[in-house]
Amino acid sequence: MRRRPGIAGLQGAAAARNDIRKNPAFRSQFHEMCAKVGVDPLASNKGFWAELLGIGDFYYELGVQIVEICLGTRPHNGGLINLQELCTLLRHKRKTSREAVSEDDCLRAISKLKVLGSGFEVISVGKKKLVRSVPTELNKDHNEIIELAQGQGYVTVDEVERRLSWTSGRAIDTLETLLDEGFAMIDDGHRDGKRRYWFPCVSSISSTVVTDA
Amino acid sequence: MAGSHLPPAELTTSGRPVLFPHEIECFLLSNVDLESEDSQQLNFSIRLRSGLLILTTHRLILLPPDPVPPGSKGAWVPLAAISHIFSSKKSLKSMFHSPRLSFQLSVGTDGCIDTGGSVRGSRSAVMTLVIRGKADVDAFVGKFWENWRARAWEKNSEETGSSGSAGSSLGSGSGSGGFDSTGMRVVGVAGILRREQEIWESTDKSLQEAFQDLNALMGKAKEMVMLAEKMRQKLLSGSSQAGGGNDEEMGSKEEMQDWLLSVGIISPVTKESAGALYHQQLSRQLADFVKIPLERSGGVINLIDVYCLFNRARGTELISPEDLLQACSLWDKFDIPVMLRKFDSGVMVIQSKSHRDEEVFARIKTLVTRPNALRMGISASDAAITLGIAPAMAKEHLLTAESRGLLCRDVSPNGFRFYINLFPEISVDALYIVGSHGIYATWINTISTSGLG
Repeated sequence: MRRRPGIAGLQGAAAARNDIRKNPAFRSQFHEMCAKVGVDPLASNKGFWAELLGIGDFYYELGVQIVEICLGTRPHNGGLINLQELCTLLRHKRKTSREAVSEDDCLRAISKLKVLGSGFEVISVGKKKLVRSVPTELNKDHNEIIELAQGQGYVTVDEVERRLSWTSGRAIDTLETLLDEGFAMIDDGHRDGKRRYWFPCVSSISSTVVTDA
Repeated sequence: MAGSHLPPAELTTSGRPVLFPHEIECFLLSNVDLESEDSQQLNFSIRLRSGLLILTTHRLILLPPDPVPPGSKGAWVPLAAISHIFSSKKSLKSMFHSPRLSFQLSVGTDGCIDTGGSVRGSRSAVMTLVIRGKADVDAFVGKFWENWRARAWEKNSEETGSSGSAGSSLGSGSGSGGFDSTGMRVVGVAGILRREQEIWESTDKSLQEAFQDLNALMGKAKEMVMLAEKMRQKLLSGSSQAGGGNDEEMGSKEEMQDWLLSVGIISPVTKESAGALYHQQLSRQLADFVKIPLERSGGVINLIDVYCLFNRARGTELISPEDLLQACSLWDKFDIPVMLRKFDSGVMVIQSKSHRDEEVFARIKTLVTRPNALRMGISASDAAITLGIAPAMAKEHLLTAESRGLLCRDVSPNGFRFYINLFPEISVDALYIVGSHGIYATWINTISTSGLG
């Protein structure tokens, strides 16, 4: 046990180390306590907490895996992915590891990735949390349409005009921007002839999108 | 004397030691002297002053102090050749002097150390480290003993620093030697049984107990944080003084920042300070690492990609995103051929200094004044192919060129395209006059011959 000024020989640390790695609830509590004391245990892997409790590697590795998954799913969803879907893909990727990963863990790992630019951020739209991995900012109009899409996974121009009381121009402009950025896909194949705009980021978990570990 | 020297340590162009396979750095000490006690039988005499000492899993490396003159070499001592480490005696006298640590080296009759790593030499010499810089000497000594005992050079296996790194050694049993860092077998039936028992025991343990331990930790942490805050204030106020500080001040500032870092407080890099020693070393390590990926990606690479690449290469003892950022921002203090650059969109990239804006714009201009491009403009993917970089990077460059007035954008059903900016050549007072040598003229010619005019 390494000795450091003020924290010499704490036997409890070894036990804490084990628990932190195996128990997401414990990890979450630990972070809250750190925040109260005013330290950031994940600031640097040279940090006391990272070394003593070994959590640095856990979160930074998670960060790497999250980036890989976001990159892998970007052709499909344009850089916006449902947090739940991300966690599922993550667990699938980590299935050989014995350590459980909670949504809280993901959120913390992503908050650390934010400093690297490239737009990593978690945004709340309606009832869901979405993880953005591109620098494109979403404004209020974009968010409202995505929230509307949470109902059926898609929207039509009519629906947007009716439900949000927008003009036709505003609806089409916003939808086209979302399309350009890759967050939406169009589907013109229905009998009623109405174009549907699908949003992969709010659809339920798709088993067809698999990223290899 | 030919015989009385330590093997030279190879350095990279950034002044970093070249590590052996599986060798991992464990500790850094600045301002260290290495002396040998004169042995009458051997012509073995070493005196290295004020060097940077790096303790790794395999050896002690001594580097000359910064700035490292190009072409200079450090020296190293294999841990394998150490036959004994003397316990440092704490006495009243020793409190007033720099801490000293002595160890016994096994030396061959020719005065050379067996770099192959064994204690085969017939003679021994005593070497002493004098630690003049402020440092956590106890921690260093502890780690020194640990590494010496661990004998990492004998195992041809990877350090298993953390038990959960992507399931690398557990379960497959290939190349890990079958042992984890506490010496327990992790493969085979014994390993499986032990793991199961571990899991059972850990879930069985009451969570309350765990929280009690954590509370104790937190109590101590609070004290540390208060002390750390005082230190931080001192650092911040100290750096605003004119004079820039002499070397000794810098040394102690670095140590302070290292200590702050270990508590979890990253101090920003200021003009005067160069940040924690840890980040300085990391900074050089990164500069070396990033050379090859940069070549492969045309001179520009996304910072987040570097984060993934670097950590994947490391395997364990990963770096945090903030570590990466700090290390990159130190680059302009050293003479390094790479730089960190932030675009307006917030995207951050690492770019090689030879990949300068002017050069990129010149190439973009050439691309965008070709007849095809005059008619149809260029997209980010076109630029990407020409510049040999990723489309996302190309887009950033095009946007920057636009903000400098070189290009104009056109958003149409065909997508997002860029054209050469002709407006500078058009005078408001003489809208219909076309200079005979400008790009405007070329454009008109091109458009009319294609029948679009």
